[in-house]
Order: sequence, then structure tokens, then C-alpha cells
Amino acid sequence: MIKACLRCSICKWIPQVQIKSQKYATACPAIDMYNFHPYSGGRKIILALALEMGRIKPSEELRDIVYKCTECGNCAVSCKFLNILEPLEIMMKLREKLVEAGFGPMPKQQEYIEAVKKVNNPYNEPHETRMKWLPEDIKIDQDAKILYYIGCTSSYRRKEMAISAARIMKAAGISFNILQDDEFCCGSPILRTGDITSFEELLNRNLDVIESKGIETIVFNCAGCYDTFKVDYPLYRKYKFRVLHTVELFEELIESGQLNLTNEIPLTVTYHDPCHLGRNAERYEEWDGDVVDLMPMISINMPPKPRRTGSKGIYNAPRNILRKIPGVRLVEMERIKEYAYCCGAGAGVKSAFPELALFAAKNRIEEAEDTGADTLVSACPFCSTNLQDGISERSSKLKYYDISELLLMSLGLEPEKLKKAIAEVA
Amino acid sequence: MVLEKAILKEFQDILGVENINDGEVMTNAYAYNWCMEIFNYMEGKEPIPFSPIPKAVVLPSTTEEVQSVVKLCNKYNIKFKAQSTGLGPWNQPSTDNSIIIDLRRMNKIVKIDTKNLYAVVEPYVSGAQLQAEIMKHGLNCHMPGAGPQVSPLASATSMNGPGFTSPSTGHSARNVLGVEWVLPDGEIMRLGSVGLKNNPDWFNGDGPGPSLRGIMRGWAGAKSGIGVFTRVSVKLFPYPCSTEFKLDGCSPDYDFDIPDFMRVYVMDCNKFDYLEKAMLRIEEEEISFMCSHLSGFAVMAIFALNIEGLMDKMALGSMKVPLVVIITARTNREFDYKQKVMSMILEEMKLTNIIGTLYTPDPIFYAEALRSNLGLHGFIATGGFQSTKGVCDTAAVCLQSTKRNIPLKKEYIKKGVIVNDFGEGHWMTSYESGHYYHVESPTPFDQTDADSVEGMAEYMEASNQMDLLKHIGAPFFVEGDRMHELFGPHMSNYHIWLRKIKQAFDPNNIADSGFYISAQEEKEE
Repeated sequence: MIKACLRCSICKWIPQVQIKSQKYATACPAIDMYNFHPYSGGRKIILALALEMGRIKPSEELRDIVYKCTECGNCAVSCKFLNILEPLEIMMKLREKLVEAGFGPMPKQQEYIEAVKKVNNPYNEPHETRMKWLPEDIKIDQDAKILYYIGCTSSYRRKEMAISAARIMKAAGISFNILQDDEFCCGSPILRTGDITSFEELLNRNLDVIESKGIETIVFNCAGCYDTFKVDYPLYRKYKFRVLHTVELFEELIESGQLNLTNEIPLTVTYHDPCHLGRNAERYEEWDGDVVDLMPMISINMPPKPRRTGSKGIYNAPRNILRKIPGVRLVEMERIKEYAYCCGAGAGVKSAFPELALFAAKNRIEEAEDTGADTLVSACPFCSTNLQDGISERSSKLKYYDISELLLMSLGLEPEKLKKAIAEVA
Repeated sequence: MVLEKAILKEFQDILGVENINDGEVMTNAYAYNWCMEIFNYMEGKEPIPFSPIPKAVVLPSTTEEVQSVVKLCNKYNIKFKAQSTGLGPWNQPSTDNSIIIDLRRMNKIVKIDTKNLYAVVEPYVSGAQLQAEIMKHGLNCHMPGAGPQVSPLASATSMNGPGFTSPSTGHSARNVLGVEWVLPDGEIMRLGSVGLKNNPDWFNGDGPGPSLRGIMRGWAGAKSGIGVFTRVSVKLFPYPCSTEFKLDGCSPDYDFDIPDFMRVYVMDCNKFDYLEKAMLRIEEEEISFMCSHLSGFAVMAIFALNIEGLMDKMALGSMKVPLVVIITARTNREFDYKQKVMSMILEEMKLTNIIGTLYTPDPIFYAEALRSNLGLHGFIATGGFQSTKGVCDTAAVCLQSTKRNIPLKKEYIKKGVIVNDFGEGHWMTSYESGHYYHVESPTPFDQTDADSVEGMAEYMEASNQMDLLKHIGAPFFVEGDRMHELFGPHMSNYHIWLRKIKQAFDPNNIADSGFYISAQEEKEE
């Protein structure tokens, strides 16, 4: 596959048939910022080939190019509209190779990996304060078969998300358990850097703990944790429990009438699809077919092999929720769903290359502003932090809320927050 | 061969430190391109997809910066190769004494003149970007078969430029108007009305004084061998139907709201002679948005999104000599008229449209046709293809070329080095409602397999030789000294004049001529 890049540049753009303007035609924050072609998805394939052929060697120069990527996978969506290459997977393998060769990850990323090993979170916060976000009125059911997995970012940095999701579940009468002292980092920030050995240790530890508690369903408010459990864990070790993002659960609860949205929220919102909840949250499906040679050089998969094209991401649930909130008007950005532009924070970029993270965020904020919305909404704590940094950096008038916060307001659980939001928009 | 530090510093002074890179990884990555392995093999080199490694890559953002870079190249006798969207081996340096000028930062749509129907663009505006902006004004642009992701400027100034919509949007060579051009010695030349002293504007490609359009690009462009084009004005056309463009679902399985006035016809003409008659007859009526002959295999491919998608399209694949026509209209009356004309022609010529009976396209086909994305379907069979031929002539000459090529292609199919399209894998389109025609022979091969690469290269050489010996027109890839010197003596010694142009415009021989013609004959070098 690494010999087959066409260097067509399709990976630099959103799917060609989706291009609606010159301004928002591009797909990749890294090539948008750094401009030299090796920052694009296709050129990562070429770098892999050059490495394989011995034309280049692992080096700091190669490392700096390979790690200036949020692994958002937008390049792969565009490529796979007609082609069958896997620029994202090749990119991840390149990082693994660099780790093996002693050049990866980036020093800042190594710091947070060490922090995870030491205190179980990449923010180097004390483990014993992990559950400090938990309000006293939220009761945990130690026997519940539903586990609420909060994740490091919501626990330490985006507590409003951790709290909102818990309160909403409480309002719906859902009994849930929390791992408390046993909750560690899911491993996503480590996996994305290519340090597979450290990731596997964490994965096995997490699965051992969860399986020992007889959990049937895990609910995540963090898109990164959700994607890692849903898509990446099964590649290393199978499990039997069900994984849900809060938007999937909340949509079900609204549909079943367990959540009654009463309060009007007169906001015009636009929704940012997190990469880990959207295009990358698509499982690798098992395929047990045959490759049938039709003629020299042409073979087909029988039955057709499932391809990860980004089409099975969680796109409708958040939008359905927003449409159900009284008073909310949803307007869409140009780049949405499987070809949404990345917030810029992922794959260790926020820590190693903050300028790239901010560049992408500002780009996305501008796109959100151009919709005429007064509020930007998403469903990932990492996107939340980076997009709010973008809002601040651009001095944007946009307000940012996690989708669970809007739900909370509509349920009438935080009337003060609602009043503040409406006043600020007004 | 890296740049000397002092020279690097001078480039940095022009562009800023962040816009030049001479790193080993960076320059190696820029040495790769699609089909480079074929051209390497044809030149007697190792068939790998890498060209000579450039000394550095620079990213200018203005014409003035390009000019300064080119002047610096002249000062230090370093060659330059300019590229925009950069698809294909023509973007590659032919020597390790060359830098790459990557024009990616020059990405502005400078002007859209809706009244006089032209747009002025910089090198890194893609076809899809330009189209998206002009659709807002009810307008359309020509895009080459390479796809909507490539640069209209590159196609207009430096390449060939047929496209699937050529019946209604012409040919890149014919669509170029005013041009801003940094010559190989660093002077700036403005062609056409943009070169006027008083009230310069972009509406006309000829003059002031003698027109230099032929020298600027000739038949198939100089591929940066005669300088760098920094801005160009291209013709615009009315958008063929409603510009409402609504897609639902997710990639690649998009659903598309097919515009009200758009209809596809696929007919089997059975024989090439009859195809010629049908194409001439339909194009005579000036009603088609698209009018292409493709092999049955290729027709299946343009309607499919992946290799498995070919399997339910046997009704298309079994056609002997298919003709694909799309008609579009902006009003019901216009649509009614065009459909009546098509019905009349089909009846008159006893042709049957299988669309709607034996085969119904997915709606995404219509979206891709409108956004000029069909050429990229050539890759779905094996992931790689390249074309031979490239005739631009009458329909009869194009078909003569096609017919002669079939036995040749079959020889290589028999060797198992190219895909078996029964030798019939051709694409022929009319230009400008049948005023002239284009044919090429796209051939899928396996670019990851050495035998296939070498076989494909040998087939391309044999095809070129046949074009030469049978006098059926110069193919696309008459590029570089060896090919020009092969074809020139058979074609009015044009190569002598081409070399004189090169010498006059590039006295220091600084623009990399690997895919053009060098200033001196090889033996003299």
C-alpha cells in the first residue's frame, strides 16, 4: 500500500463533491499551517516508502514532520472516496517505527506518558484528586451494570462536562457506577504517539478492572476515551461490554421519554463533530471473505470487505438532541460529519505543538462564526478546551458549551447557567 | 547535494526562514511522484517512483518573491522546477542541481468577472475551489480529466487539458486569457490585455503586439521549462443547470438531489465508424454537456466507486462501442428541446439509450459529472493507470489512432503486464461541440509491481513509436530532449524552433527542462 500513493492531493481537501467554498475546502490542519507537502496525509505514505527503501532514516527531522499531525483522519476520508489507501493507519505505523527507533514520541509527549505511568493521568495531577469533580448529591451505585467512565480531561480540566453528564443520568433515573480510585487514563494520548507497549499495559489493566466488576455498558462523555475503547481496544483484546458515548445514551433517554426537555434555550448553535466521535469512531469489522482474482492485477473481495470510510461515526445523535432542545436553532458549518475539520488538539499536538493546535482551532472558530451561530457546541472535552482556546485567541464572540450543558439547562437543572448564556448571547 | 549555507541564507532573506527547507526528509518526499517509475524506466534508470532529489524546496507567496527566487537561481546557476498542485512526474526535477518552487502559498482567486466571463487565479487555487466560488454566480469552469483537485492555472499554462466536460467547456489550451509569467531570467512578462500599458485587464489572451500564447504553452505546455506562471485568467461558462447542489449521507455513499434538467444517455454504437457518425451528429446539434466514448470497462468504472462496484454493471461492460452523453439545461423549455433532439438522433441512428432500462446510475454519478470528478475513476481497478496517445484532431483521426492501438495493447495484455480491457480502453471526447476531438488510451497497471511497471513503460514506448511511424499525431508525452528529437524531424522540425524559444527565453538555461527541451542539443552538452 505504501507504494501506491498517487500524489493526487485529494487528501488535502475535503471530498471534492462537498467543496462549497474556497475558504473551507481544505481538510488537514497540518498542511494548512506548514504548507510543505510532507505534512499532508499522502506524503506520510511517501515518507513511509522512503523509510522502507532506506532513502531516509529515522531522525529528528522525520519525527517533527510525522508528529505534526492530529491524526484526525480527514485525509483518509477523502482518499477513500475512490481509493483504498489508509494514510491515517500508515501515519500511526510511522509513529510506532519512530518510537522503536528511539526518536518518538516528542519530548512533551514523553512527559505526559511518564505522568500517566506515575499518577495515571497525563496532566500530572494527583491521582487522589481525580474524583474531586463529583458533587455530593450524585450517588454512585456500586452494583450498577452501567459504568460512567469520566476520563482524565473531564476529571481534571473539564469538570463541567463530568458533572453535567452525571446530573443528566441522575435526572433520567439511571443508576451508574464509577471506578473512582480505579479509574486510570484510557491510554488514548499514549496510543496516538505510537508508544504501543505503554498503551497495551494500560489497556490490559483497565479491562481487567472493568471485567472484574461485571459491567455491561460503559458510558463515556469523552470522545477520545470512547473511540479508544470502542475502536482500538478490540484490536488488542476483545471484550463483551457495550460502549456508548453520552450523546447516544441521551438520545435514547430523550426518545424514551426519560428526559423531559422543558426549558427553552433561545440559542443559535453550530455543532462541531469531534474526530473521535465522528469518522474515527468506526469499528474495524471482521471480514472472513476471499480475495478472488478476476484477471491479472484485478481482484475483488467476496463478499465486499467492510471499509472504514467515516460513514459510521456518531453524527445523528448529537444533532437529534440539539433539535429536541426547545428554542435551539441548529445551523451547520460547511465541513461537517465525516469531513469535519479537526479542532486541532488530538494525537499529542496540543502538548507538543500548541501553535498547530491553536491554528486549527482558530480556523474552526472562524468557520463556526461564518454560520451566524452565537454558540458553538461539541461533545468532547479535548475539543472543548482547544476550541475555547481558539475562541479566546480570536477574541470571538462565540459562546462554547458542551452538548450536555445545553441539555442540563433545558432540563432546568442549572437555571443560573441558562440565564447567563442567554444574557451573554443577547 | 544541499545548498551552500550562504546561498540558503539568501533564499531565507527573500522568503523567510520558515518558507525554505533543504532537509533530507523534506527533499526526499518532494522527489516522489506518481508514474515517476515509468519515466525513469523509459530513460534507462531504475524504475522507482523518485526523481533526482531537489536541493531545497521554497514556498514563495507573491510574484515578486518568485521573481527574486528565479533571479537567485540565475545568480548561482541553480535550476528550478515550479509546481502547483503537483500531480505527475512533470513536476519533478531532472537534476540534483535544482530546487522546487512549490507555489502552494499562492492560492488566491484574484478576480471573478461575471460580466465578461473570466476568473483570474493564482497557481494553488484548485478547480473545485474555483468552481465552488463561481457556482455562486451561476457559472462553471473547465477542469482537466486529472480532476477537480488540480490547478486550473497549471492546466491552462503548462499541460494539455482535455476534460469530461470538454464539449461544453473546451480545452485548457483554449481557455487561457491573460497571463502573468516570471521568465527564466527573472523578468516578468504579462501576456494579453493584462500586458497593456494603459488600463491593463485580463479579458484577452492575445497581444499587445504579437500573441505569445503559442510560445507560452504550445501544444502541451512547458512544465515549468520556460518559467513560472503566477497568475492567469481563464474563461468561464454558464453553469449547465441549477446550481443547487445537495448531498446527503456520508462518503462515499452520498445521495444527491439530481438537478431537474439533467439526463444521461449511454448507447452502444457497436462499431467505431458508427460511433464517429453518432458523435458528429450529436455534437453538430451543440446540445451536450458531456459526450465521451469509453470502453465498456471504463464506462463501468465511471459509474462505480470501487472495484466491487463494477460487478453489477455488466450491462454497461458488455457494450462494444459505448457512447456516454449528458445533456443539461437551465429551463424546462431548453431541456425539452435537447431531449427532443436526442430522441430524434437516437431514432434516426437506431441507437438505444440503456439508462433507465438496463442500468440506472446512482445519483452520485450526476454530482461527480457536474464537479468533474469522473477522471479519477480510472484508478479504481488497480490503483494506478497512465495514458498513451493524446491525439487532438478530427474524430476520424482519433478513431484511427484507437483502432491501430488495439492490437498493440493486446500484445501487452497477453504478457500480463497491463490490465485486460480487451485493448479497447480508450477515452474520446469532443471539444467545443465537436469542433475537434481528443482521444487517449488510459491503461490500468499495477504501480506496485516491477514487471507491470516495466511492461507499461515498454507499451508506452511502443505506442509512441506507432504514433510516429503511422503518422497519427503527437501523443501527450512528447517531453524532454529524447522525445522531441524523435518526433521533431517527422513534424516540420518543430523541435529546432522549440529549442530556439528555450534559448531566447532562458539564456542561462536555468528553468529545469526535463519535461521540455534543453537549450542545447544533448550531444553538445
